[in-house]
Amino acid sequence: MTHILLQLGQGFLDCLTPMNMLMLFIGIVIGLLIGVLPGLTLVMGVALALPFTYRMDVTASIVLLSAMYVSGTYGGAFTAILFRIPGEPIDVPMLWDGYTMGRKGQPAKALGWTLVAALGGGLLSAVIMVVLTQPLAVFALRFSSPEYFAVLLFGLSSVVALGRGSLANALISLCAGLLIACVGTDETYGAYRFTFGSRILADGIEFLVVMVGAYGVGEVLSRLETGFATKPIDKISNARTELPTLREIAALKSMFLRASVLGNIIGLIPGAGATIASFVSYGLEAQFGKRRREMGTGVPEGIVAPQAAATASVGGALVPLLALGIPGSGATAIILGAFMLHGIQPGPQVLATSAHIVYAVFASIFLGLALMCVIGYFAIRPLVKILDLPEAVVSAYVLILCFIGALSIRNDVTDLWLMIGFGVIGYFFERLKFPIAPLVLGVILGPLAESSFMNAMISYGNDWTVFFTRPISGTIMAFTVVILLLPFVQHWRARRVAAA
Amino acid sequence: MRSTTRRFVLMMAAAFGAALAGGPATAAGYPERPIELIVPWGPGGGADQLARLLSKLMEPMLGQGMPVVNVPGGTGATGMAKLLAAPADGYSMAVYIADSHALLAGKNPRWSMKDITPVAVMIKGPSFIFVKQDSPFKTWADFAKAAKANPGKLKVATLGFGSVDDFSLTVLDHAGIKVVQVPFAKPSERYVSILGGHADALYEQAGDVAQFISGKQMRPILLFGKKRLAAFKDVPASYELGYKVALPQFRSIVVRAGTPPEIVKKLSDAFAKVATMPEYKKFLADQYGDPNSFEDASKAPAFVQEQLDDMKKTVAGK
Repeated sequence: MTHILLQLGQGFLDCLTPMNMLMLFIGIVIGLLIGVLPGLTLVMGVALALPFTYRMDVTASIVLLSAMYVSGTYGGAFTAILFRIPGEPIDVPMLWDGYTMGRKGQPAKALGWTLVAALGGGLLSAVIMVVLTQPLAVFALRFSSPEYFAVLLFGLSSVVALGRGSLANALISLCAGLLIACVGTDETYGAYRFTFGSRILADGIEFLVVMVGAYGVGEVLSRLETGFATKPIDKISNARTELPTLREIAALKSMFLRASVLGNIIGLIPGAGATIASFVSYGLEAQFGKRRREMGTGVPEGIVAPQAAATASVGGALVPLLALGIPGSGATAIILGAFMLHGIQPGPQVLATSAHIVYAVFASIFLGLALMCVIGYFAIRPLVKILDLPEAVVSAYVLILCFIGALSIRNDVTDLWLMIGFGVIGYFFERLKFPIAPLVLGVILGPLAESSFMNAMISYGNDWTVFFTRPISGTIMAFTVVILLLPFVQHWRARRVAAA
Repeated sequence: MRSTTRRFVLMMAAAFGAALAGGPATAAGYPERPIELIVPWGPGGGADQLARLLSKLMEPMLGQGMPVVNVPGGTGATGMAKLLAAPADGYSMAVYIADSHALLAGKNPRWSMKDITPVAVMIKGPSFIFVKQDSPFKTWADFAKAAKANPGKLKVATLGFGSVDDFSLTVLDHAGIKVVQVPFAKPSERYVSILGGHADALYEQAGDVAQFISGKQMRPILLFGKKRLAAFKDVPASYELGYKVALPQFRSIVVRAGTPPEIVKKLSDAFAKVATMPEYKKFLADQYGDPNSFEDASKAPAFVQEQLDDMKKTVAGK
């Protein structure tokens, strides 16, 4: 333990050179911007930054990239809460409670909660990462296709919690999402599905197009209908940056721990990352949390659970990269590239041969989180002021953001038409009281779940019992079954009580 | 960061200037504006790394920017569609790799050799069968024996069905080595399947798993090629054992067919210069690429065609 602390201390000293601090600062600012722009995903952002690191020394370049990674999981919360545009898929759960809290007149408070959640989740996860690097790395190797599928199914089952009004409507919305996800070339066998001979459909429908369209454009359409006359939130310009009080945070301490550990574990799993962490954490809280019945009405639990888990997943994802050389996510794959460009090959030997760099990376995560929160703190106030502008003006900019986002995914104009189409669908969903969240959930998680299911089937000779007989996957499946049965049990109980 | 902004402004100015000048691009002053380099894959992969390195090394040589555009999707088909939709004036190029090329050996390919002109082959590297370091299979002979004793039991992780990996395994299949192919499109899942013991072997290029080789987590047991590689001199080559398959991973640069030959020549000469630079040679070595990978515009088309013929042969034998 003292050994680890000594090395970590050395890591902090290595990080505190002017060059590294500058990189840390630049990385955080760019990461926040990437998080805010819907089309520019974390992975793309980190990839674009990679060429600039060619001439830097190795510590500075890794510090830059990992700082971007950390803050990229946080930036999107701003647009999600203020304008209902999720900057990254990570931020979709932020719409349910975060945006709602903002609409109830407390946007600054909602942003304050995300800041605390990102800081808390990130720090807890960083501590876990530093102390348990080796054992966690070994644990990560136990995940294979059946486990991926179990985790994804668990994520999908959280839809039960999202269908506040009507479970049937939520399920219809989810199935529509899964169907949209089917469009395109099947990943395993290359068959064309629902492509109608169109080239762009053969590539599938990008979840970002659905997400930005249904939420961003749909919201603007809804406001257009009311003539942009939504009652302005009172005295927003006087709003201070509102951090939750210590008492409020202390009340949620077990939740912080739960979300961070969960985020860390999901980050560990190669193939799952911040997005799945965020969805699963929200789902878990909505099913088993103390205030599960109030989730979705703008309670802090609904903000902390996804944000803490998303930021915590960064620490988790770095563990297999540093200890085994396996990049657990798109962003870590690029960080791996940066290591290799400098002649360092992460893997079991790296802690022995280049320990100082590893610990400098660990230290940079701690410093990065702290710096990110300082920047976030000062950014909240000017950003919230934007809501003071006439709604029509804000909506115009929201639309521009949506268009830039949708175009930058594939550089294809057809995506813009698709996005407008999904905007209309999102608008009607809202009107007809169908929840949009399950639709988006299906589009994001559907293809991942499908390919891991197919792989498990190919790998285990079409034996579906593997999902239940392997220990990790079996445990997760048991949770899923409980979640799915819960509404029926409650319904049955309620009827018995009524009859008695 | 500032240099990017400046480069961007220059790029925009150049594009604007070109638009004003109008008319078809002429070979004489080529290049008069930035050349777009399409990567039909997402950022971060092997094709992307190559493109970004080329862009960096080529810019000073051509005196124009070479922005990298990622257009992922459809095993490279989406990016190729973008290339083929642009005019054949040498201002759009694409990175073209063996995995996309394999589509041409399949049913209803969306483009053919007639649509593209290979300008240069930048990197060729053989593929291998890898096992985990502590795998019970010490050599390829052990693996082949076990596969013959238990047909359809051993699992080999690959990129996917219809890929180069698939073609190579088909040849082994004909030789009586019947394995289950498990397709993992994501590299991270592919590597975990080996390190975590979920699959028995992995089909991969050495450059992509360099960190596991040097970290003593994986070792090669079979090379697909005619000759052994100096770096792994104990690993048998497939031709020695009578498996007639050598589909190397290659990464080349193509333009649309019909691009003026002078422009192709100019580009090819620039790539030839890049291939001699120490920075490029180091990249090639890190990727375990063949040191003599480079083929210029005079030889590249024949090489690419030959690869397709080889792939078609393995498919026909299926």
